[in-house]
Amino acid sequence: MEQEAILYEEFEIAGGDFVNGGSASCRVKNILKEIGLEPDIIRRVAIASYEAEMNVVMYAKKGIMKLILTPHKVIIKVDDEGPGIPDIELAMQPGYSTATPEMREMGFGAGMGLPNIKKNADIFNINSTVNKGTNLEIIINLNNKDE
Amino acid sequence: MSEQIYHSVKIDETKCIGCVVCMKACPTKAIRIKQRKAVVIGERCIDCGECLRICPYNAITPLTTKSSDINKFKMKVALPSPVIYSQFGPGYMPDEILYALKDLGFDYVYDEALVCEMASIAIQEYLERNPSPRPIISSTCPVVVRLIQRLFPDLVSLIIKMEPPREIAAKNLRKELSREYKIPESDIGIFHITPCAAKMVSINKPETMEKSYLDGAISIKEIYNQVMARLKNREKNFLLHTQSQVSGIGIGWAISGGEIRGIKSDFLVSVSGVYDTIKILNDVESGKIKNIDYLECLICPDGCIGGPLTVENRFLAKSTVLSLIRRFGGKNRIDTNYVKQLYDENFFSFERDIKPKPFPPLDSNKNEAIKKLKKKEKILKTLPGINCGVCGSPDCETFAEDLVRNEQGLTVGRCVFLGESNL
Repeated sequence: MEQEAILYEEFEIAGGDFVNGGSASCRVKNILKEIGLEPDIIRRVAIASYEAEMNVVMYAKKGIMKLILTPHKVIIKVDDEGPGIPDIELAMQPGYSTATPEMREMGFGAGMGLPNIKKNADIFNINSTVNKGTNLEIIINLNNKDE
Repeated sequence: MSEQIYHSVKIDETKCIGCVVCMKACPTKAIRIKQRKAVVIGERCIDCGECLRICPYNAITPLTTKSSDINKFKMKVALPSPVIYSQFGPGYMPDEILYALKDLGFDYVYDEALVCEMASIAIQEYLERNPSPRPIISSTCPVVVRLIQRLFPDLVSLIIKMEPPREIAAKNLRKELSREYKIPESDIGIFHITPCAAKMVSINKPETMEKSYLDGAISIKEIYNQVMARLKNREKNFLLHTQSQVSGIGIGWAISGGEIRGIKSDFLVSVSGVYDTIKILNDVESGKIKNIDYLECLICPDGCIGGPLTVENRFLAKSTVLSLIRRFGGKNRIDTNYVKQLYDENFFSFERDIKPKPFPPLDSNKNEAIKKLKKKEKILKTLPGINCGVCGSPDCETFAEDLVRNEQGLTVGRCVFLGESNL
């Protein structure tokens, strides 16, 4: 069932910018707090969107994070221009990572990014074209007790 | 929303001239200037004491217990924070300081450092018995607990479900003293000697129990002169009256890193200062911080020795604590099995869980909140972004937020750059 977006926001993500990496997911988190979503929903969105953002920072040239709120769910879409993922099934396996030694030194590249997003999402869709980019869609259902 | 919220600071309206200093310093944006006076928004204040430190007009005072109030009780007990040992320079030993403190009119003084050591063992036990979730966050600093409830409500479940040493010590003392001296528990007044006013909030409005085991908190500043005078006048040989039972591990709790010193794990982190604490909690919330067992957060810089109600320069205080740690060693003075036994009796446990108390959203209705969010963003684009604070809100973004929250009589004309200032 398609639903109207009641809120739509976009945030740019710069590839390779480890200093500001995490700021888009932080904005998303703060917006959801201002709206007053349940703390556990916010936590799941925060973790999933942070992982998605850091994937763009680590591997892609640039990307965009979209926050879409409908009456029944939070949708985070992350589209990037980058190398893409040749084997998504492999990338989804916990522990698998193509991070460089430098990234690992910064504490990234444990191979838990995508599995972690999946764990926190109700629905997780991923599409990727090699040498073009990756599109993620993370859907988290609202508890909807106010209805 | 109009719930009466108790806070540990009071603004003296005769002294406050409505400058922007405290409002700008407040890390949770809890202060506004209205009709030339600073006003605290209860739901936003976490009692960190930043305003108290910074006010140039001495208009903000801590609401601690007056030392004369102890006389309401038949038996008066002082339970000083280990910070006290750092306040009088390296020349005075803990026993001397405790004795001088007792001489102010207390019937009994108790060294909280011993219980701090006990707590270190109990935390270790907690971590071993609860392998997840991680990281577990310390419950010692009442401001950190409030900060998590307000700003990071989704992290409340990570706070260790154990009372801090001051409450554990008071709980134990009340029972023991009542039995030993055969007087009712209600005749015993136990007072924490504190480096911060925030303890008054956890005593008057405890989050995790019906009633605090403490009866009040007296500021270190208030007793400092009297204790110092007694220390300098050493006609009485204090050491003859005391028994040496000092814990090096416990004393360490006065500084940042002290709480984790006694815990055996490689994945322990200590953070101090309000901004760094907010930063690390943000990282925990995003899941950026993984593989850490225990996170000690203390809101004051360098830990409790940096409290707003201390006297000694905090760097000198830190040096004194470090020298005491060297002197008294990291040797355990407490029997680990005894602590485990208490642990099994739930002696350290919260009576009830900490509840999240998030800042109120822009509106209680989700759709209205979204409308207000959009309106806020629109207003923000028209504001100059100078963040001067002259409108009475700490920065342009908060001003936009205040406008959409329909603060009484607030219009965009309050901005000096857009309209006429009413200040």
